[in-house]
Amino acid sequence: MIRKFNMLLLTALFALHINAEETTYQYENIAENLSHPWSIAVIDENNILFTELTGSLRIIEDGVLNPMPIGGVPDILFAGQGGLSGLILDPEFPLNQKLYLSFSSPDKNQKTNTLEVISAKLIAGNLTEVKTIFKAFPSRDTAAHYGARMAFLEDGTLLITSGDGFNYRERAQYLDNHFGKIIRINTDGSIPKDNPFINHKNAKPEIWSYGHRNLQGIVVVQGVVYENEHGPMGGDELNIVEPSKNYGWPAITYGKDYSGATISPFTEKEGMELPIKYWVPSIAPSGMAFYDGSLFPEWKNSLFISALVPGDVRRLEMLNSKVINEEILFSDLGRVRDIATSPNGSLILATDGPKGKLIRVVRK
Amino acid sequence: MMKNILYLLLSILLATCLVIFQETISNLTWLLSVEMPVTFLIFFSTFFDNLLLMNGGGAVPLIALIGMGMCSAFLVARILLIWVNVNKPVAYGLAGAVAILAIVLLMPLAFYNLDILAGARSILGKSILTFYGFLSGYFFGSVLKKKV
Repeated sequence: MIRKFNMLLLTALFALHINAEETTYQYENIAENLSHPWSIAVIDENNILFTELTGSLRIIEDGVLNPMPIGGVPDILFAGQGGLSGLILDPEFPLNQKLYLSFSSPDKNQKTNTLEVISAKLIAGNLTEVKTIFKAFPSRDTAAHYGARMAFLEDGTLLITSGDGFNYRERAQYLDNHFGKIIRINTDGSIPKDNPFINHKNAKPEIWSYGHRNLQGIVVVQGVVYENEHGPMGGDELNIVEPSKNYGWPAITYGKDYSGATISPFTEKEGMELPIKYWVPSIAPSGMAFYDGSLFPEWKNSLFISALVPGDVRRLEMLNSKVINEEILFSDLGRVRDIATSPNGSLILATDGPKGKLIRVVRK
Repeated sequence: MMKNILYLLLSILLATCLVIFQETISNLTWLLSVEMPVTFLIFFSTFFDNLLLMNGGGAVPLIALIGMGMCSAFLVARILLIWVNVNKPVAYGLAGAVAILAIVLLMPLAFYNLDILAGARSILGKSILTFYGFLSGYFFGSVLKKKV
């Protein structure tokens, strides 16, 4: 009897403990009924820009969603996984109002399309001085695996993730194209003179690293570049990316093809980099943010990766660029497409789908 | 009747094995081209892995997909054989070829133009798979004892 009572007491205490953990944060809806929100860029606490895959660039102004999309966004191809995707503010945005957008761009009079990146200035609710600074080569006839995330290196150059286009996966291993690559360019579209393959015959000079699949998250933390990418069935990866390195896809992988077939029986090879973490089965990682805010001190120095399957956020505790612990958070929100940090230490999440939301995570 | 069903199942199994063979060869040949250490042992273990996983670990069991395609095509061939005087193995061979070609061409339409079968991406790959469909159908037509 006493043993039973002790068991009950223990169970109750455990439940209370879980409950106490659940109450450390709460959600605040910032905006609802969004059409496939994809990428978030925080201007300041109450002003947030975000893209909708269907082709709109939207803004939260003083905490309220402006019902009118920002004008001047170029024509995009909204199909499959393609659409208006990545968004990043220039490091000098408060001074120059400059931002960068990546999207799937239809080729004129053809059935093909490609990943394109533009720079533009946001003036009075409109994009002006729109300039194409990168177009992936060659075009593809698929509407999948664009990558399309961006990050700035500390030297002010721009990194762009360029996916393998699905049907073109083998080309991720060759340097004469942009499939499955991380691209590094200057913000005016020119090529940095110290790019690793700039003097390499037959290589595209914009390439910074290669052997990637569908890169959906990239952040730079104190000079270290973290990148996450979708594996096929299993084999999603978190990598630390360095210039000129080969990340192996599809020659080495922990995943299987969607048909069940073995893409490669190999998981490592000399000269190919291994992920610092991988997931089998897949979590379908999407956005990524590094947390160094003060609102949740217990989350400091963590990488947050939003995930689409089954739909949650992974908090990865980092120590010396290594993952020492993984915690699953916000699993009640469904598919989470992107994550960003806000100056006050709150997190901003974008949930995926035709009725997506922007949600702020604050301390309860 | 039972024998015919057995022959049908055998021809579906043959087609499935050949498609998986093509998938395996396609992936491993490319791996060899980038100097990955592919050996005969790796080839066989990958092929048998694929036999299991492509029929039980993927989005759709391949054998079910091929079975549906070939049953439909063989049914049409059998009906046509009532009126058209064609060599039976050739007729079923053509039906098998059409079944596999249809699967290969229609699958991308359901997946945003994506070729889920890597071995079917190139024209050569599609041609080889279609030929395998022909072989499987030809086998079925050849072993049918009963005249239609």
